[in-house]
Amino acid sequence: MNFKVFCATIKKGIQIRIRAYPVSFMVGCILTSFYTILGSYLMYHYFFLGQLSESFELNARTTDYMSYAIVGSLMYQFIVRTCLNVSRTLITELREGTLESLMLAPFKRTSYFLGNMTMQTVLTIGETAVAAVIGIAFGFRISDFNLYHFIVAISLSLYGFFGLSLMLGCVMLYTRDTYISQNTLFAIIFLVCGITFPKEALPYCLQLFGNVIPVTDAVTLMRASLLGGLTDSEFLYLGLQEFILGTIYIVAGMPLMKHVEHIALEQMEG
Amino acid sequence: MNNSMRLFSKVVWAEACKQHRNYFNNRAIYISLFVWPVFSFLSAYYSYSAFDIRGTFISYLSDDNILLFLLIGYMAMSFFRSVVQSAWRFSMERQAGTLEYIYLSPANRMAVLLGNALSSVFESSVVMLIFGIMIMYYQRNALNIDVLGLISVMIIFVVMALLWGVFLNACFLYSRDTDFLFTVLEEPMEIFAGVKIPVVIFPYWARVISLIFPLTYILEALREVCLNHADIASVRIILIISIAIIIVLLTVTLVTIRVVEKHMRKSGNVILF
Repeated sequence: MNFKVFCATIKKGIQIRIRAYPVSFMVGCILTSFYTILGSYLMYHYFFLGQLSESFELNARTTDYMSYAIVGSLMYQFIVRTCLNVSRTLITELREGTLESLMLAPFKRTSYFLGNMTMQTVLTIGETAVAAVIGIAFGFRISDFNLYHFIVAISLSLYGFFGLSLMLGCVMLYTRDTYISQNTLFAIIFLVCGITFPKEALPYCLQLFGNVIPVTDAVTLMRASLLGGLTDSEFLYLGLQEFILGTIYIVAGMPLMKHVEHIALEQMEG
Repeated sequence: MNNSMRLFSKVVWAEACKQHRNYFNNRAIYISLFVWPVFSFLSAYYSYSAFDIRGTFISYLSDDNILLFLLIGYMAMSFFRSVVQSAWRFSMERQAGTLEYIYLSPANRMAVLLGNALSSVFESSVVMLIFGIMIMYYQRNALNIDVLGLISVMIIFVVMALLWGVFLNACFLYSRDTDFLFTVLEEPMEIFAGVKIPVVIFPYWARVISLIFPLTYILEALREVCLNHADIASVRIILIISIAIIIVLLTVTLVTIRVVEKHMRKSGNVILF
């Protein structure tokens, strides 16, 4: 890990963000999470008049549907933003024409991606905080906060998201497409990762799909740290699972990225 | 008269073909046309699993037809959403520099817009339509259709979706700012038009917002005739409102086309930017 590259990447990222991107982009992301929360609110309070199914209470281990859905949608917002930025960094460089100069510079892959991830996390935490405040108006209550669990959940989530972003980044750089790949992944995550409903409601094959995406466990861990419902040993088990999954993604993603970079550079026109 | 009709339909067809060639040369488009709508439909369906369906006081809803209730919503939305995307693509004409060719040609402007909407409504929604009809066939016992009602509602529905598309396209003759379309028409339409939550149960403020979307009215009628065996007489008020909306959309579009062209002639330059 090269600290200089790490810092330079963060600095570069923040400068680009301030100078080139309008605020409306951030507002758009907060709005998405707002609409998800609003949809859940109308569904819970008006459509089904607050009557939860037995299977929900059993699988979600909480009876507070609104908090359940809000934590899910905040985490979803987080992963979307991380993927949008970390995965897209290299293809954006390619499109803006800076990939070549980046490769000529003393570029360290790990530091570069970690720098991007750090910058992104700091910015996204701000957005998520705004969305969380909106969530409070819709009934978001932290009922059983556990600081240690929270720290573990955040670290493991970031670890897992980083791995996932790397993989998505490889696909993007290889296919030269961001629109189809990112939106397909987001649609899959929203369906199989237990964002607004427990994944146990899904058919078995879709559940398996959810198990290999390092978002499912991250969302469950985060919920457990805020709303309770998991014993310590269950928490540890899930945490370990998320760690292993994240490691697999990162260990496979880093060399793959290097390989795809070569392909991208070879085929690059102009 | 006959000749001008022939020219009109020629332009409509030409524009529809052009759209097809432009966007269906890449297989990946089928992912966005099929995978995304189906996944978002499934997400909505499974999110219902958190609730006890007997809790709702919509009389005709039950465990059996809730899937169809939602499916009709998502199928109808895919039509309305496809025209939003077509309008967005239409705004690309301006950036690609082809809008001024359309203006230079003697083609009827309305026919161009109609051709664009026609191609997107039928081509983009057909995959979702086939998927929906398959599920409906599979679940046919839960259907409670009034055939005559369904036919008349479907006709009004298709006309409305087309004119909604034409209207959105016309907006882009005037403006280059396309972001608002997605902020206003993607997710809010899903929530407020009653795609996954029936409008009837909305609180007052949400009902007021729902009145903005033409989809709200026709979707209600569609569900009534498909699930509640409602005949034309019982949905007549919705149908009258829908026809009124169609007339308004048509008028506004025709006026917009005229006003924009006048404005362009006065203040535009060769490349319209």
